[in-house]
Amino acid sequence: MKILLVEDNERVSQFVTKGLQEAGHTTDHAGNGRDGMFLAASEPYDVIIMDRMLPGEIDGLAIIEVLRKAGKRTPILILSALSEVDERIRGLRSGGDDYLTKPFAFGELLARLDALHRRAQGINAETPLIVGDLHMDPLTRKVTRGNRPIALQPREFKLLEYLMRHAGQVVTRTMLLENVWDYHFDPQTNVVDVHISKLRQKIDADFERPLLHTVRNAGYTVTAGD
Amino acid sequence: MIRSSAVSLALGYVALGIAALVLFAAPLWYAWQVTIQEGRAEILQADAQRLTDVFRRDGAAGLKNFIDTRVAMQIAGERILLLADSSMHPVAGNLSTWPKAVPAAPGNYTIQVEVADQGTQPALVHVAMVGNCNLLVGRFNTLFAPLQTRFWYGLTAAIAVLSIAGLLVGLITRRALMSRIHSIRQTVSAIMHGDLKHRLPTHLNDDELNTLSRTINGMLEQIELLVHGVRNVSNSIAHDLRTPLAELRSRLEELALIRPPPAETFAEVDGAVADVDRVIRIFDALLRLAEIDAGLRRSGFVPLDMADLASNAVEFYAPAAELKGIDLALLSDGAQSVSGDPVLLAQALGNLLDNALKYAPTNGTIKVAVRRRVDGTVEVSVSDNGQGIAESERVKVVERFYRGDASRGTPGVGLGLSLVQAVAKLHGSVLEFSDEAPGLRVTFTLPVDAAITAASSPPAPQSVEVEVVAPARLASS
Repeated sequence: MKILLVEDNERVSQFVTKGLQEAGHTTDHAGNGRDGMFLAASEPYDVIIMDRMLPGEIDGLAIIEVLRKAGKRTPILILSALSEVDERIRGLRSGGDDYLTKPFAFGELLARLDALHRRAQGINAETPLIVGDLHMDPLTRKVTRGNRPIALQPREFKLLEYLMRHAGQVVTRTMLLENVWDYHFDPQTNVVDVHISKLRQKIDADFERPLLHTVRNAGYTVTAGD
Repeated sequence: MIRSSAVSLALGYVALGIAALVLFAAPLWYAWQVTIQEGRAEILQADAQRLTDVFRRDGAAGLKNFIDTRVAMQIAGERILLLADSSMHPVAGNLSTWPKAVPAAPGNYTIQVEVADQGTQPALVHVAMVGNCNLLVGRFNTLFAPLQTRFWYGLTAAIAVLSIAGLLVGLITRRALMSRIHSIRQTVSAIMHGDLKHRLPTHLNDDELNTLSRTINGMLEQIELLVHGVRNVSNSIAHDLRTPLAELRSRLEELALIRPPPAETFAEVDGAVADVDRVIRIFDALLRLAEIDAGLRRSGFVPLDMADLASNAVEFYAPAAELKGIDLALLSDGAQSVSGDPVLLAQALGNLLDNALKYAPTNGTIKVAVRRRVDGTVEVSVSDNGQGIAESERVKVVERFYRGDASRGTPGVGLGLSLVQAVAKLHGSVLEFSDEAPGLRVTFTLPVDAAITAASSPPAPQSVEVEVVAPARLASS
């Protein structure tokens, strides 16, 4: 992926740039709003990471609004120290596609960037999802693995669908909470893990090769590979 | 001093009083000048007429005798009597010459003049023609002079008393007012210097200043409460953030000192990241609380089905409950439309269920109930069959960073119930704790959605009840 990072804090920039490079992405960095606006408007990027508060006259949200008005559809992830729910809503309304509060775990950032990129490539909601021998038909809501039908509860179906749509990517607990349950808080108990292990029981228990993996300190991934 | 509102007000009243006095005195003076003088003139004319009658009956000699007798009898007193011949030479009477001020012309008229007798004095005189003689009848004004003087003295004294009294009242009022304002000012400056315990002095009577003082005191009460809350929170933050930060610091310091083999180092680094995450969680919870307390989220109120929200939460927590062998049930009688913030209500319910799961015994039960109350509000309750919390501890559990004995050693930072409390407050309710014997039941209510109220009859608010049954104490997490 080619990624633009608009962020004025040098340490955060270095940390993110280095991490993204290690993950195999190329990164351009802009340290202020004007450079950020210029790069975002002139270069083709797969994803833009935009800090909300930037030095100079132009702040992150203003840049996003200008880009959207100019017809740029590049997915944008907003980085912000403002964690209020209303701020989040403002950020998304201005044209951002996702919102991540500082401080953040790098794994969370990477997972969200992957998800944004995947979404932008255009997914057909009706196309059957296939990971290894696991099939899901979003239309008929039928799930089979190796020709054996798997019965899922509606919420389990949604959970698996989200995981399969991001097959091969790491999906964090927070992403699952937000996208599967629409919860914007961090439950004390390991509820998400329990849901995952129930799902794992249904899709992996009777098979030799597990598809649903836990990624330590990050989240989960559904993949047919190793 | 004129600028003092009390004094200028008093001076205004003095001016008004003087104006009233003048309005009263002026007609009186007019009556004096016109009516009484006219009466006197009539008396003089009658006098002159009588003397004329004497002249007609007894002739000039008779009149002269009559006048002489009268003067001799000293009836005259302040009276003037003078009979003069045609060339104005006195013939009889108590004046030696025809007064210069009276025109030496025959005729019939009444005038006010200065007459020289023993000293010159003002007098009212009437002149009449008697045969070919000139008759002058008059009276000195001396009889009325003291009355006139007294009138003027009286008027002056009244004005003086009014002015002095007015000024005094003004000054006294000003003093009283200043002393009260001074005490208010002292209190306020003490408060400005940071001592919020002070209150404005109030009296039993309910005058304007007192009413204002009471209102201000009410405001101070609220401010003190808020500041106290903020202070408490900052103290707690200092304490609760210090602990994980201290752990983190020593962990890193030890790492730098010992430089253990890579595997161990990485384990330590993971631990350090977990410490930081804990700090971040506390910050997030505090920011969320501050956000709710500031009432900023009221804009996020939308009509929503509380029963549906509760059912989703129950469904979300069900696998975790199952794992502990806990029976998690939802009691609701159909959709309950309320007006609220879905994000916060989900979090509040989540926190209550987190607590219930943490403290409910294995094979226990947790019940979430959403019911419409008689008063129309929707009641949400979470109850468990755990150990419950002691009556004495119920006030404390909603305090920030409070952790019950039972919660020691469990994850959580002691903000969970504070948040639920804040969410309830935002929705116009308070958390109620009741004993489920055994267990705890936490309840709050929600206002019914206005649109629903308008559409359905009878209009009824709704309340939502959330119950959590847990074996151990419910502590804020």
